[in-house]
Amino acid sequence: MTDASLSPLALAPRAGGRPLAIAAAVVAVLALVPLVIADKFILSLGSTVFITAIAAASLHLIIRTGHISLGHAAFMGIGAYASVLTVMELGLPFAAGVLAAFVAPCLLALAIGPLVLRLTGKYFVLVTFLFGEIVRMVFVEWKSVTGGANGIFGIPAPAPVFNDPAAYYYLSLGAGVLLVGFIARLLASEVGRAIDAVRESERLAHCSGIPVLRLKVTIFALGCGIVGIAGALQGHFIRYVDPTSYSVVQSLNLVVVNVIGGMQTLVGPLVGTLFYLILPEMLRGYVELQRIIFGIILIIVMAFLPGGLVELGGRALQLVRRRAGS
Amino acid sequence: MMMNAKAAMAAVCGLAALAAAQPTVAQEDLKVGVIAALSGGGTAWGLGLQRGVQIALDEVNTAGGLKVAGKTYKLSMVAFDDQYNAAQAKTAAERLVNQEKISFLFGPVGSPGALGSLPVTQPAKVLQFVDGYAPAILKNEWHAGYVFRVNNSNREFAGPIVKWIRQTMPEVKKIGMIAPNDAVGQAAVPILVDAYKKEGFDVWVEYYERGSKEFTPLIVRMMAQKVDLFEINSNAPGEAGLMVKQARQVGFRGKILQSGGAGVDEMIEIAGPLAEGFLKYDVIEFTAPEVKPLVDAYNKKYQGIINGMVPIYYNAAHILLEAIRRADSLDTTKVRDEIEKMEGWETKMFGKLAWTGQAEYGAKHQIAQPFFIKEVKGGKGTVKTVLKPE
Amino acid sequence: MLSPILLGQAVVNGISLSAIYILVALGFTLLFGIMRVVNFAHGAFAMLGGYALYYVYGRWGVPYLIAAPLSALGVALAALVLERLVYRWFYQKMFQSMIGLLGLEMAIVFTAVIIWDPHERSVPAALAGIVEVGGIIVPTDKLVIVGVAAVALAAFYLFTKFSKYGLAMRAAAQDVEIAAAQGIDTTRIYQLAFVIAIFMAALAGGFYAQTYALSPLMGERPLMMAFIVVILGGMGSIPGVALGGIILGFAESFLGTFYGGSVAVFASFGAVILLLIFRPWGLLGTPET
Repeated sequence: MTDASLSPLALAPRAGGRPLAIAAAVVAVLALVPLVIADKFILSLGSTVFITAIAAASLHLIIRTGHISLGHAAFMGIGAYASVLTVMELGLPFAAGVLAAFVAPCLLALAIGPLVLRLTGKYFVLVTFLFGEIVRMVFVEWKSVTGGANGIFGIPAPAPVFNDPAAYYYLSLGAGVLLVGFIARLLASEVGRAIDAVRESERLAHCSGIPVLRLKVTIFALGCGIVGIAGALQGHFIRYVDPTSYSVVQSLNLVVVNVIGGMQTLVGPLVGTLFYLILPEMLRGYVELQRIIFGIILIIVMAFLPGGLVELGGRALQLVRRRAGS
Repeated sequence: MMMNAKAAMAAVCGLAALAAAQPTVAQEDLKVGVIAALSGGGTAWGLGLQRGVQIALDEVNTAGGLKVAGKTYKLSMVAFDDQYNAAQAKTAAERLVNQEKISFLFGPVGSPGALGSLPVTQPAKVLQFVDGYAPAILKNEWHAGYVFRVNNSNREFAGPIVKWIRQTMPEVKKIGMIAPNDAVGQAAVPILVDAYKKEGFDVWVEYYERGSKEFTPLIVRMMAQKVDLFEINSNAPGEAGLMVKQARQVGFRGKILQSGGAGVDEMIEIAGPLAEGFLKYDVIEFTAPEVKPLVDAYNKKYQGIINGMVPIYYNAAHILLEAIRRADSLDTTKVRDEIEKMEGWETKMFGKLAWTGQAEYGAKHQIAQPFFIKEVKGGKGTVKTVLKPE
Repeated sequence: MLSPILLGQAVVNGISLSAIYILVALGFTLLFGIMRVVNFAHGAFAMLGGYALYYVYGRWGVPYLIAAPLSALGVALAALVLERLVYRWFYQKMFQSMIGLLGLEMAIVFTAVIIWDPHERSVPAALAGIVEVGGIIVPTDKLVIVGVAAVALAAFYLFTKFSKYGLAMRAAAQDVEIAAAQGIDTTRIYQLAFVIAIFMAALAGGFYAQTYALSPLMGERPLMMAFIVVILGGMGSIPGVALGGIILGFAESFLGTFYGGSVAVFASFGAVILLLIFRPWGLLGTPET
């Protein structure tokens, strides 16, 4: 990636001072929420936040290699359909559905990865955009399997207990902790350093012995597999899948979440997810103005925080330190 | 989940603000919910829904409110946007049901939103009034327990229209359709095709991807099939108007008819003089004297063309209000039972109320109301005939 | 089913589709080529151009040949306010511009929904009627668009190739800092390019609204087509826009006529993907170093 906007990545802090302790504290607080708040809406919004956070974090993983995919929702859709079909058509348990939801998009990504990952920057954005639309059209056309544009209705919950919003909250929180934790571990490891090296300069990385294309394809497939699991969680949560849920609009939403939050650290997409899901809920009452206000906020954030909302946190932290120091 | 403390705090603050934003419910306030596409594709329908319900609520409020079990309620509405999307509809429904505590819900229009919201509303016994062509809206695991479809679906109107064509246009043998490849098209077109085939017509169908505005290549393709009647089926008004215009521009001389959609004005606006002679299914005759008060109320409060969703949902709101009065209770099960028993009730503009669907869906929750075939004459939609649903 | 008339009709439809695609894509490619801005709000300006024409020509009855450029110019000049308020923050920032301008698109479109209501209306055609040549039918309003697209394309090409400002623009496109060092007022040049780009978008939007329909949400489709045409031809290349527009227009017309609507979309998208994989800089673009 040659774009200037991504180059300060290397300088970005990993996730604040004591990332592990903070993360553990956040998870603990989140785990207590259903004990304090019984409101089903809040719990369901929580599930939506966790599922979206998984999807956004999986896209972040791909973005870290320097490739922004505008077709990520298509892979989420493949995961959702794979899981739903495994459970409803083959009569297998939800766990098998989740496995299928990981494997199916992963395999597709492995197949197309070597071709599309040779492209850089904007060309990759465009190819994934078109590819995502083609996948969506396959959902629409392949009526015998996908139910066509009307989708599949009456999807069962993973188990009867998960009809309770609090149970689904814990399920998606658990999945979120596992998968986002895995991504965090990966990015902090040797592999993570190799990924950063590839993004900064493919040629340099290649010279220092990193198998560039193989690494990029692996990461791409992994990201697509993880978003497939998010798709499965979403499908069994809404209990309805249809092609419009996995269109370019949703892909764009995932990119927006990443850009708004910040593309430099994993914290970015998580903050972005919160922003992107909670803000519209606050605006939902202002039916006519909500989209205008949201649009203007997008402009302002992008104009003044090109590094995303995380940058705001970074600046605030600096300010606090300076005060504390003086 | 890895988040820093600031993000967590923002989340907590956000949720707290949400909770605080809910005004305390006064004793005599009754809120009804609306979910509609208020942004994105189906916005025109969504606004029609919202406005139709609002006008009905205003009428009752002006008349002193709704009296139930000795209390008088002032009616108000909480409307949320579903962006014509299943996930958004689910979230909106969760919030209306669990936070706003509404028991009566109008919308969404369109299958994705309707199917997304049912898993929330039905277990909670929230009485819902939807519109959308997907059979699963009524044919589902809850056996349409607390949901009514308040507009004819094309299962009700396709048969009578096709029979009418058979009777009045003996020269028509082959039907051509160009249909949107979306939920509406894929649900509605097979039903329509069956209806035509049952009456012995030849049918040719071609689908297009939603968003397309240039249908000339497909119309040229259709004309090569020598069709006698161009059936515009379930296309949205904008696309339908363009199809009429473009078909005439490339010299299609056969009949053009639409069994679907609602409202002919928007199409005349788009097709202009080329709309002359076009035949169309419609739900209402806006110039009829019994509809005039609604049109006047609409024009007083809103700008823009009034569309078919306004009377449909105005009617649905009055059905609900009447059922609440009869039940003298806000209990949704009692109100639902009253609605089922209201057959024969004189509605303001759709004649006597009738429910159907026992055989098809296992519950009589599908409205069956008379409808119009209109013909465009001198730039205006004029009633050609009134048909009864099957 | 391959009759000469059908074939001729497909050619005619292909030409008129191409003309619209080219008009919409010209401004888009200019903004990208010079400022490296992905103008996701392009469709919104096309929509505003449609409403401007609706009032100036449809309501006030200004003669068409004056009304069309006048309403587009009005939109472009008014948009200069947005250039100062919004666009200047996003010059040379591809990803930020994408998201920020997506926000601008939302803000403009939903303001339009409040002002004009979402229903679709029409702008009267400049020349209603049809011309018939040997059984092939051409609506006259489409002839007008083909004519304007040809003129606009030529003017655009000559302007950037030979005029003083055009040269300055190309210099700025290649390297802003060097251009500035050589005494080119890049702020002014950017504003000029911006006005031209929005003018083209608004003009195309006027035609689009006339041929199809006018509504606050009408910009989505032109934006997507502009996006694909520009990729196909090569980002920032003007002859590329012409070629990309012609290929896409003809592909849609021929595949649609002979194979149907869904095949047309599948095939066009598939072809563009293949092209991108093997020649990512587009048909007439230049590879980046």
